[in-house]
Amino acid sequence: MNEHAGRGWPTWARPGVWVPPLVAFAVLAGAWQLYAVHNPTVIPKIQQVVSQLVDRPYFFFRNALTTIQEAVVGAAFGMGMAFLLAVLMSFVRIVERAVLPLAVILNVTPVIAVAPALVVAFGFGMTPKYVITAVVVFFPFLINALIGLRSIDPLSLDVLTTLHASRTEVLWRLRLPSSLPFLFAAARICMPLSVIGAVVAEFVAAGRTNGLGTLIVTAASLGDLKTIYAAVAVLAVTGIVFFLVVVILQAKLLTWHSSAATAANA
Amino acid sequence: MPGLAPVPHHEAGPSVGRSGAASAPAVLLRAVSKSFGPRQAAVPAVDDVTLSVETGKFVTVIGPSGCGKTTLLRIVAGLLDPDRGDVSVFGSPVGRAVEAKGIGFVPQSPALLPWRTVLENVQLPLQVNEKAHLADGRVRRDPVEVLESFGLGNVLGRRPAQLSGGMQQRVAIARAFVFDPPVLLMDEPFAAVDELTREVLRHELLSVWQGSRKTVLFVTHSIPEAIALSDAVVIMSPHPGRIEKVVPVDLPRPRGDLVETTVEFHELERQVRMEIRRSWKPEGPEG
Ligand SMILES: Nc1ncnc2c1ncn2[C@@H]1O[C@H](COP(=O)(O)OP(=O)(O)OP(=O)(O)O)[C@@H](O)[C@H]1O
Ligand SMILES: [Mg+2]
Repeated sequence: MNEHAGRGWPTWARPGVWVPPLVAFAVLAGAWQLYAVHNPTVIPKIQQVVSQLVDRPYFFFRNALTTIQEAVVGAAFGMGMAFLLAVLMSFVRIVERAVLPLAVILNVTPVIAVAPALVVAFGFGMTPKYVITAVVVFFPFLINALIGLRSIDPLSLDVLTTLHASRTEVLWRLRLPSSLPFLFAAARICMPLSVIGAVVAEFVAAGRTNGLGTLIVTAASLGDLKTIYAAVAVLAVTGIVFFLVVVILQAKLLTWHSSAATAANA
Repeated sequence: MPGLAPVPHHEAGPSVGRSGAASAPAVLLRAVSKSFGPRQAAVPAVDDVTLSVETGKFVTVIGPSGCGKTTLLRIVAGLLDPDRGDVSVFGSPVGRAVEAKGIGFVPQSPALLPWRTVLENVQLPLQVNEKAHLADGRVRRDPVEVLESFGLGNVLGRRPAQLSGGMQQRVAIARAFVFDPPVLLMDEPFAAVDELTREVLRHELLSVWQGSRKTVLFVTHSIPEAIALSDAVVIMSPHPGRIEKVVPVDLPRPRGDLVETTVEFHELERQVRMEIRRSWKPEGPEG
């Protein structure tokens, strides 16, 4: 990038970085407000949404917590299973041939269509939400993990092979570390996706548990636009936070990768 | 098969070093051929190669790009199985030598693990397949000492991305020396560095090798490098990859910085150049 613009600023603090999106955001907010004033039945005014959040912060916080729990537990479960399966697949070729087509079918199946069946099977508690969220993140994580486990440098593999490294040693010392950048890239996609999964699950099974999705369904049935958009705003922030957590973890844990990348660009 | 093979392979073929004793050579290839591609359209990469390297000798393979040098080295390392012919290391099949961690391999690019520091990269061969080490009671050399002998004592904690190309090559070579394998295979380890660094690395390698006297099979594109380093220069020709000629190098050891300036050196250089010109002629006017 341009090294000379904004000298002395850290990258994120350069005016060139934050001014354009801020302007775009302001323009969008202005247009929203203008439209809301003339069409109060279509969208609420911004101050109405904000006052919702300010008036009942604990209410939104409690519902957000439920949705976050569903998203995090479901995502951890789905990503964990996908990772184990990817390791197994890269270890035993037959498993890959057998399972990959099934995973592709699972991927093109709209999970939402199966969701009511999951509610019938698991009831209205947390379980169906975990399952749906896990299913949503499963496939993208599986594919990325598979690619990552295969993205090894062939010459490094040669070196390990001449040392007579076992398959387990190749897995631990070469495949897993090589796959880490891919796993983080997948997590950057999957964590925000898990929020969507949790909300959709709540739409279908808006039962005993609360949560932002349940809140939206209930508010919609009452025609309460302010609450809906307040919940949507909280969801958006949640997605961003999830994304940032992954980015920060990656920056902390994968220093070798970023330094290798900058060296390659230099 | 075209009958131009310069080397009769009823016996050990071009042999390097003249021990004459009954002991098996460190590396022995007999009528080794390897093709790539589907059976009908197979392109031979290495054709009918017979070569014997005696223990403790430094042998260089020189040849144009694509003549099968890497393929040959990978066959000796047990990474590729030849289509025909056989390979042995100290009289046993290659697989045995690999199981015992008897072969050190320096690939064409450094192939360091980017998440490991310099020191950790050099420790890798000691960590992998540990049983082989306990089995034959070989010396486990101290990684720090090996790195110091290659002038890397002050970058132990750095990551490969923070090193220059020449330093990365040094680390890759140190990684091959650290577990003390009796046979070292090096595939153009200096190809990616500039001429000046190359000469420095060459002398470093020579002085470390002088102290251990491993058997080395070394691939290069450079004639002076081949002569300065080795006891014999194996000239390969392309399409298909064959051995054209083995030129013995009888320069005294240890060789100092100034071997390149001696009359004998220049005479050998001329001789190798002539051989190369003769054997590669069909490829074009360039010599
Ligand atoms: N895995 C492979 N599959 C198909 N063809 C291959 C493979 N490996 C090598 N070859 C072919 O075999 C021939 C010899 O390749 P090799 O890499 O051994 O040459 P080289 O002498 O090491 O060349 P360079 O000096 O450029 O490294 C080439 O024509 C190459 O295209
Ligand atoms: Mg090569």
